[in-house]
Amino acid sequence: MPKLKRQLTDEQVVRMVQSGKVESFGILVKRYQAKMLRYARKFLFNYHDIEDLVQEVFIKAYTNIQSFDASRKFSSWLYRIAHNQFINAIKKKGKEAVPFFDLDILLPRSISKENADKNINQRELRQILNKCLEKLDIKYREPLVLYYFEELSYKEITDVLHIPMATVGIRLKRGKEIMKNLYEKY
Amino acid sequence: MRPKIYFTLRTLFISLITLLVALFVLYLISFIIFNLRASGVWFLPKFGFSAMGIFFKSLPWLLILIAIVLIIVLELLVKHFRFAYRRPVLYSILGIIILTILGSFLIGRANLHPNLFWKARQGKLYMVGGFYRGFGAPKLPNVHRGIVTEIIDKGFYLETPRGEILTIVVASNNIEKSDRVVILGKRDNGIVRAFKIRRINQPMTW
Repeated sequence: MPKLKRQLTDEQVVRMVQSGKVESFGILVKRYQAKMLRYARKFLFNYHDIEDLVQEVFIKAYTNIQSFDASRKFSSWLYRIAHNQFINAIKKKGKEAVPFFDLDILLPRSISKENADKNINQRELRQILNKCLEKLDIKYREPLVLYYFEELSYKEITDVLHIPMATVGIRLKRGKEIMKNLYEKY
Repeated sequence: MRPKIYFTLRTLFISLITLLVALFVLYLISFIIFNLRASGVWFLPKFGFSAMGIFFKSLPWLLILIAIVLIIVLELLVKHFRFAYRRPVLYSILGIIILTILGSFLIGRANLHPNLFWKARQGKLYMVGGFYRGFGAPKLPNVHRGIVTEIIDKGFYLETPRGEILTIVVASNNIEKSDRVVILGKRDNGIVRAFKIRRINQPMTW
């Protein structure tokens, strides 16, 4: 049975929960708890209630599980809930400014190719990110975390942040440039 | 766990609100176009650059402002849907503007507003009758539209869409009875000293 559970996709597990096998939600919690904690730790700084926030994410996911369209990707849906939860936490604490509207979602731009920087050592990049993330603005920090740590695709990040795909590319590019400058300073 | 029906109803509600706001924007923009045509402001660009000041002063800014706010609300509602948030805001805003303007012109062709305006003038339109009487064909100080009812020595008489008869004073002109015209000139107690006149081909049903 545990072997079978491992073989099930997230979406299949969600269908089980939706059909009344609510205990199956535990499988999803097991699969995503570490990821959500990592996402929260990289995105939020100096927050002591990260575990509580992540727990809240799972409670919201469970409460709203019937709204999930199982033909879509569960991970994007869960990351979207987490994003909303974390942004609300930031707003509540008032430590950082959360932009309501940004010009980079207004105009059409050419989409910079995904994985265009494959030649850059990903591990090295993650190390640099770890040192500089805290100093980055929210709008650049979050896509960088989702792309380099959570390994989400541009399309998935689009669905999590509700911003155009080209904007994801622009923010990653600018974020890396800012990060590079910060790294060279220190 | 919330039941599925809750989410189905919520999606339906958001879709319904989006549709209602979209329809209202359509109605409002088509009304603004009607208002501009009925007051004569629509034709002012034909008078050249000198009339542009009066054109901008005579625009129904309150209605335009409400339409802009509603377009922003519509954009925020549409952004709930995947097809919208995946694309730049400019695309969805342009899409909304183009669709509403096209839709408004279609409504304009159906003569909805002129019919409602005439009903309002006759006191047969309830609820929105006041709105049509107030905003339908506004009385502007410098722009006048209407049909020539009689030629007199010093000019002619003009009947406006509101049913007023204005005396148009003009030095010389080739205007004839039954011409439909737009006039630039300051109104003073029912007398307008015209400094520019243009014939228009549009019927009085706008």
